[in-house]
Amino acid sequence: MAEISFPLPDLGEGLIEATVLEWLVSPGDQVERNQPLVEVETTKSAVELPSPQAGKVVRIHGGPGDKINVGEPLIVFEVPDNTAGIVGTVPKEEAPKRRVRLSAVLDED
Amino acid sequence: MSNAILESEAAMADGTPRRGVEQLSMQQALNRALDEVLAGNPKTLIFGEDCGRLGGVFRITDGLQAKYGTGRVFDTPLAESGILGMSVGLAMAGFHPIPEVQFDGFAYPAINQIVCQIARMNYRSRGTMPMPITLRVPSFGGIRAPEHHGESLEALFAHVPGLKVVSPSNPHEAYHLLRYAATRPDPVIFMEPKSRYWQKGEVNFDSADPSGSRTGASPTGAKVMREGRHLTLVAWGAMVARCLQVAELAAEDGIDIEVLDLRWLKPIDEAALTASVRKTRRAVVVHEAPLTSGLGAEVAQLITQGCFDTLKAPVERITGFDVPYPSGDLEDEYIPNIDRILFGIQRVLEYRRG
Repeated sequence: MAEISFPLPDLGEGLIEATVLEWLVSPGDQVERNQPLVEVETTKSAVELPSPQAGKVVRIHGGPGDKINVGEPLIVFEVPDNTAGIVGTVPKEEAPKRRVRLSAVLDED
Repeated sequence: MSNAILESEAAMADGTPRRGVEQLSMQQALNRALDEVLAGNPKTLIFGEDCGRLGGVFRITDGLQAKYGTGRVFDTPLAESGILGMSVGLAMAGFHPIPEVQFDGFAYPAINQIVCQIARMNYRSRGTMPMPITLRVPSFGGIRAPEHHGESLEALFAHVPGLKVVSPSNPHEAYHLLRYAATRPDPVIFMEPKSRYWQKGEVNFDSADPSGSRTGASPTGAKVMREGRHLTLVAWGAMVARCLQVAELAAEDGIDIEVLDLRWLKPIDEAALTASVRKTRRAVVVHEAPLTSGLGAEVAQLITQGCFDTLKAPVERITGFDVPYPSGDLEDEYIPNIDRILFGIQRVLEYRRG
């Protein structure tokens, strides 16, 4: 298993921090990609942050009311070592299936 | 812990080549090869998008920046023309760059640098400016990715004088072919079959191959992955594993199939190709790239040239279609599947002259 940390992104243009309003997930939760993680408020608006990836939540940083600087850790996920990268999925190794059968008269000339 | 294991871990720490046999994924095998190349040649540099801090989107360069520093393993801007253009300058200055283009379809913005500079600088300079560049390209389809992430560019690259092109089919091949490619004085396009990255296999680190067995380490030419009598399947990259599955299924029907892993797509090992098909007298070429002007045409012609008098049927090609590579689940219809390959084999078996 590997840990992947997701830092607070710049939610506007040139914002430097955000305030945590409410966490929507807890350590131990299994989250899907795009699942809402946390509601934060910036000087521009309050927004829900979607999860950048699937994984198990290991740690969350900051409770309601706490300020987090852009680029500082927001949440840490645990993911299996054999997960795909940012793009695509790991192919499943399946037993080969066939519908076609071969028939041939092989003259050994 | 035994001394042998301690010695093995010591070898891992300083990047010296291993000995013995290990079970590794292709990712791990490639990572190991890069580690040893970096340790063995201080002129080697690795760079590309996300290659440094992240360790690559497929984890191929994982841990290498921490071990060798940001001066030798580093991230680049999202600009393939810059990645390959910088490689030209570094090669001129005596370095051995191992750049990465993150996905096959991202090589297009760097075609000018690859074709007009990297491939012909040695020729243009009358041999005074060799380009010892190993360009790693995660290639082919099979991982449900979006556009530009599943393409097969081997025919494009193989057509360019001055480039060598190679594709490993399993972790053992990946380790040895990458180590070999990184010692070449010529530019090598190293096409990694991304759908096979996670598949584990036995890697025999011993470079000597006294037995001549197929688990050996000779990094040149094609390789017979399974011997057979009735027909030769020719493939490379991810299609080798599929052809080995097909050969197993064909054996249930009493058809004995030989699988030839071409490995080097430029230059093609004509002697191995001809030797195999002279024995089996029938051949089917399998690739993911579109049919028209695909490398299968070149392979079929080489077989026809070398085996015309003994061939029992025209060489069959089982390939992708002449369409842009499809996204998502549609790729199952595009990539040659087991039934399409079996149909091709059946057509060849049924063929009668006159």
